[in-house]
Order: sequence, then C-alpha cells, then structure tokens
Amino acid sequence: MTGRQCINAENLHAGYGMQEIVKSISCSFAPGTFTGIIGPNGSGKTTLLRAFSRVIPASGILELNGKEIGDYTPAELGMAVGFVPQDEERPFSYTVLQVVLMARYARTSRFSALAPADYARCHTALEETGLTHLKDRSIRALSGGEWQRVLIARALAQETQVLLLDEPTSHLDLTHQSEVLSLMRNLAGSGSTIIGVFHDLNLAALFCDRLIMIRNGQVVADDIPSHVLTPEKIREVYGADVITSVHPATGRTFLMPLAVTTGRIAPDNIPNVLVISGGGSGTDLLHFLSRKGFSLTAGILATTDTDYLTAKALEIPCIPILPFSQIPAHSLKKMRSLFSRADRIILSMHPVGTGNLPVLIALREADPARIIVHLPEGRDFPSYDFAKGVAAAHFQDLCAAGAHCTGSFNGILGLLDTAPNKIQQFSE
Amino acid sequence: MSGNRKINGTPDRLLPHIRSIQSIRLSQDSAPLTETDGVILLLTKTIPLIICLAVVAVLTIVLCIFTGPAGFGFVSTAPGTADIVGGIRLPRVFAAFFVGASLAVAGAAMQALFRNPMADPYILGTSSGGALGASLAIVFLGGFFVPVFAWIGAVAAILIVWSIAGRRGVISVETLLLTGIAVSFFFSALVSFLITIAGQNVHQIIFWLMGGFWNASQSDAFLAAGILVPAGALLFFMGRDLNALSLGEETAAHLGIDATRVRWIVLGGSTLLVAGAVSIAGAIGFIGLVTPHIVRMLIGPDNRAVIPASLLVGGIFLVLSDTIARTFFSDLPVGIITAFIGASFFIWLIHQRGVAT
Repeated sequence: MTGRQCINAENLHAGYGMQEIVKSISCSFAPGTFTGIIGPNGSGKTTLLRAFSRVIPASGILELNGKEIGDYTPAELGMAVGFVPQDEERPFSYTVLQVVLMARYARTSRFSALAPADYARCHTALEETGLTHLKDRSIRALSGGEWQRVLIARALAQETQVLLLDEPTSHLDLTHQSEVLSLMRNLAGSGSTIIGVFHDLNLAALFCDRLIMIRNGQVVADDIPSHVLTPEKIREVYGADVITSVHPATGRTFLMPLAVTTGRIAPDNIPNVLVISGGGSGTDLLHFLSRKGFSLTAGILATTDTDYLTAKALEIPCIPILPFSQIPAHSLKKMRSLFSRADRIILSMHPVGTGNLPVLIALREADPARIIVHLPEGRDFPSYDFAKGVAAAHFQDLCAAGAHCTGSFNGILGLLDTAPNKIQQFSE
Repeated sequence: MSGNRKINGTPDRLLPHIRSIQSIRLSQDSAPLTETDGVILLLTKTIPLIICLAVVAVLTIVLCIFTGPAGFGFVSTAPGTADIVGGIRLPRVFAAFFVGASLAVAGAAMQALFRNPMADPYILGTSSGGALGASLAIVFLGGFFVPVFAWIGAVAAILIVWSIAGRRGVISVETLLLTGIAVSFFFSALVSFLITIAGQNVHQIIFWLMGGFWNASQSDAFLAAGILVPAGALLFFMGRDLNALSLGEETAAHLGIDATRVRWIVLGGSTLLVAGAVSIAGAIGFIGLVTPHIVRMLIGPDNRAVIPASLLVGGIFLVLSDTIARTFFSDLPVGIITAFIGASFFIWLIHQRGVAT
C-alpha cells in the first residue's frame, strides 16, 4: 500500500495472561477507509481491536500516525482513538447526555467545565444516532439497541481520527444497522479510519472497502470484500457452506449460508442417488440428502426451475434444458445413462404433463427395485397427472412393478440404507 | 443537516436506498438544541441543592451543639453550661460531622470505583483491620493508643489487600474485591479470638466495634477535618474520572483517562478517610453505604455532585444519629442508631424499586 498509514501494525502479538490470542498479525490502515475484521468466534477479532486501543498489552510494532502507541498519554489516545464496545455495564442511572458528554473529558481540564462547543458536538452525535429525544432518559431504562447507539454516539463525540467498532450493530434493528453503518461510511469518506469487527458478513461486504479475515489469531485473507468472501475461503475459515453472488441491487457481494453438513455416511459406502424432480418438488429433498452426505445427481431440469437452482447451489450435476421447450433427444439419452449409473433412483412426485412425460416413460426402462417413489403424505398419483391419465397409469405401473413408495424423508433414508444390492451395472 | 450528505465510497446504485433510510431519521423533528443544558442543570438543580444541604448542615450542627441530656443551653446561664457546650458537645458534634462526611465521601468514591452501588467503604478490610488494631491495643496495652493502633490496622489491611491482589501485575477490580472480603474475614477471625481472651476488657472491644464518640476531643475534630479537606478535595476533582470508571475501566481508558492511576489515587484517598474515621470513632456502619444512595436519588449519579453532597449528608446523618444516641438513649453506641436507620432505609429501598441507582 502507498501513502500515509494511520495505523500500522507489524508482527503484533496480544492476548490475556499466558494465552496468546493474536499471533503475529501485520496490517495497516489508511485514512479514509472502512475496514471490516471478520472471522469465526474466538478467532481474535475483538482482541486485535482491543490491542489497537491499548487496553490490552501487545508486543510487536503498533504505530498510530507514525508514533508508537505506547508513547501516547492516555488523554492523547482518548483524542485519537474512539472505541465502541459491544456492550457496557450500566450500574448507575446516568442520563444519555451525561454519558455522551464523557467523550469530551479527554479534551477538557479537570478543573474547568465543558465548553459550549463540547455540548454542541455531543448534541450532533446524539442527532446522528437518532437519540436526541432520549437525551434525558436514564441509561438503565434503555433497550439494548438504544444503549448501543449511545455508545456509538459517545465515540462519535470523541471526534477521533480512528474509530474502532466491536460488532457495532449486534443489538440494532434493520433500520439502525444501515443508518449507523452509513454514518461510518460517511466518516470514512471524510478521512476517518474506521475498523469494525463484524459477524454479519453481508453487512461487512455492503459497507466495508476492505475485509480482513482472521482465523486462530492470524490473517487468512486481506482484500476487497468480493475477493475475501468466496465460498472456498468461508468454507476453510468458518467450516460452513455458503453460496455467494453479486447482489443485483447493491452490486456488492452477498452470501447465503447452506445448512451445515451432519451425519455424513462413510466415504467408501456412499450410494449414488439420482433424484428426478421438477417444479421445486426436489429442493428440500436435495438439501436433505446433501446434508446426509449422499452422492447426488439430478435429472432433467429447466433452468428456471427451483430444483435447478438448488442443484447448482449444492453443486449437484444435472441435465439442464431450456424452459418451456421439448426435452431434446440427447438429454433423454444422457438421462438413460444416469439410470444405469445410479444405485438408487428417487422419483420425487411432481406434476407430469405431455412435456416431461418422456422422462417418466424412460424411467420404465430402469430396474424398478432400485426406484423409490416419494409421494408426499395426503397426495395421490392422479393429482400429479396433467397428461390425461397417462402419467397416473405409469405411476401405478411403476409401483406395481416393484418400486418402493414412501411418504417421508425418513422413509427414503430407510430405503436408501437398506439398499445393499449395490449393483454395478454395465457402464457406458 | 441535510439529507444530501455525500455518501462516499458507496456504489451509486445504493445511494437512493441509503438516502431514503437517512431521510426517515432526519425528518423526525428533533428538539431545538440547548447548548448549555449541563450548565442549566448545574444552576437549577445541583448547586442550589448543595447550598441547601450546606445550610441544613450548619443548622444541624448548631442545633445539636445546644441539645443533649443536660438540656438546651441557648439561654442557660447555669454553671457548667459553657463547659458542657464548649468542652464536650462542640468537639463531639464536629468530630461526628467530619467522620460522617469522611465515610460518605469514601463510600461514594468506592461505589463508583467498584461499579457497584452496594459497595461499602469498609469493603477492602479497613473496618476489620481497624478493629484488629484497636482490639490489640485494648487487650495488650490496657486501652492506650487505641486510635493509633486502629489507624495502623486499617491502613495495614488495605496494604495487605493491595499487595495480595497485585501480585500478578494487572489487578482487576473483582480481584481487589474478593481479596478485600477474604482479608476482612481473616481479621474478623483474629478479632473474635481476641474477644475470647479479652476477659473483662471484652465490653470495651464490643463498644469499639459498634462505634461511638464518647471520647471525642477537640484534637479528634481537627484530625478528622485535616484529613477530610484535602482527601475530599482530591476525590471531588477526580469526579469525572470516577464517572467514566463507573462504566468500566476499559471505558475510562477509551475515554482518555489513566484508569490505573486514578484507581490508586481514589483508593489512597478513600483509605485515608476511612482509616481516620475508624481510628476516631470505631467501625460505624451504614453511613458510607447508604448516604451516596440517598444523594444519587436526589441529584443523579454524577460524582462531581455526589461527592460534595455526600459529604454534607453524611455529616448531617452522623451528627443527628449521635445526638439522638446521647440525648435519648443514654449514650448508646451511635453505630446502633446508624445501622438501625440505615438498614430500615435499605429495606424500604429494596421494597420500593429493587436496588436501583
């Protein structure tokens, strides 16, 4: 990076007592930037922030505006660095204004009263955080979100070059989250250095220019949000599966968590399961089976189908076709090859009309013993028939020929587990 | 402030969205700003209240000097009146005022420091240390040098607590509190042991433990005042630091306050006040606990107001309690009266609204 750095940390170590939480972190922060620090619980985000504000001892180099942070007097530091804690004790009934006025202590002699300019700055901070109407309220009577805004107002009233935020929006509702973070953006725009710890990755991506991802007290990634918030990095650091995308309205990266994988089956014993679904009928089932660790394949799916989006998100191979078009012959051929490769085929009941009837007809060629029909409880075959009875007849024949029929996911699971006849059919 | 603030670094597509959120907030009419409402509060509430308390304190002192088992002495020309009023009551009333004031100021400072409105100035072992010193003097020195030994015991208790709590460098307030409680119990055990071997001196120890002004002399009054004036002023000028500290030591540090230094100064000042009070009058309870409570109910928790107001209320409280004790209860230990009033007030407080302020 070029230009003057506001905070410069090199080889920084910090922790509590014997326990080292931050291990050799080097990073620097330029004026006019809003940086988010992200990482799983216990990764050292807050510890790093507290090292920056000098409330816990740190070893290594830590410079603020070119001067070692240890050389600052407490009052100088109070005028240079503001800190918004996640929460704070409130044993006494100060008024909101009294708490915000504490921001000006560092700038005033203990033997003189605060100046009108100090009051003006505090009132501005109260207004910026939407607290003017609460200024005479006792802090003990505030909600968690209101109290968090008071802490933010107090840090704003400190008028510091650097603002450190420890999950500044954790107690805030939707409106106040955007409001507070927009305010922080504006401050960064006017030259402040804002560093915030975030749990909400989407908020961090939306408002920060740069994200530093931390794991076990070390920097894993330090870049613009779209480069940091990749499914691979999130998986590596958080151990969670997410889908990322660019939000159409904001142009920023956003991500959605997928359910955590649990109860995986041993890798050498994974049956290949083909799920034939449509019209969103297979979405839940695909998620369910994916969580259970089955090796999945999906059938022919139109690209507008929810099932298609699910398959794509879960990285399940499928045969995509254009929506509202006839199924091409090569797709059906591919489908047949899938029948032969799958250990089990699940027909998730979905509306069948003349358009997708060929899939059902093709299915009749597969071994019925390997087919599981998922018919949700309370539904019958004719209710899925949009092909003048032809589809319903096929459904009935399928069951009569030996396909297993079940109404629940657990039923499917039971049938999949009792499928020892892992038939290695002829391969293509 | 306008709704058209420049929103830097945000993608243009986001701007209308953020502006609309801001305009919701900005359109809420805020009350016209008063740049000086702190000053107005000071002029309309805090200062008049403190002046009132000062007037009440003066009236209380005057009234109590002329009150006692020997009757009113305003216009009395009976022989001995001057001796009783000037030689006995005058120093006793002033000693009571300064001791009560010292305990209340130390209590207010300790409560802010320990972030606990229930904290007591004796919490770090001053009273049990003083009791041990006094008991030793009573048992082994025949009752001579009791105040000196009480003072040494009180200060020694704090020093022991500091050194134990501070062994591992950084001391948390919680460690200090726990150490104080442990040391208090240890000293109380020693005092109990001394009581069992005290023989005929036992009532002297018990009376000391309850606290009173039977032997208050002019020099006691001067001593108490001599400690109260500088230590009280010190704590008063630490008022805003105490405000910040009462929200947490890290908070204070973030607000630019040298939290560690302030803590030692406040503990040192409070220790001098409490040790002085204990050496003069024994372990009088509840003044230091209840007075700051009452004061905060009257004028809020700002320590720059709480400390001077506690000084006055604590003094008034103890002078009245002592006058009641010597006038109506044939010189009962005043600690019994303060405990009776203080505990009743506390029960009422809990009944009223939980333990607030």
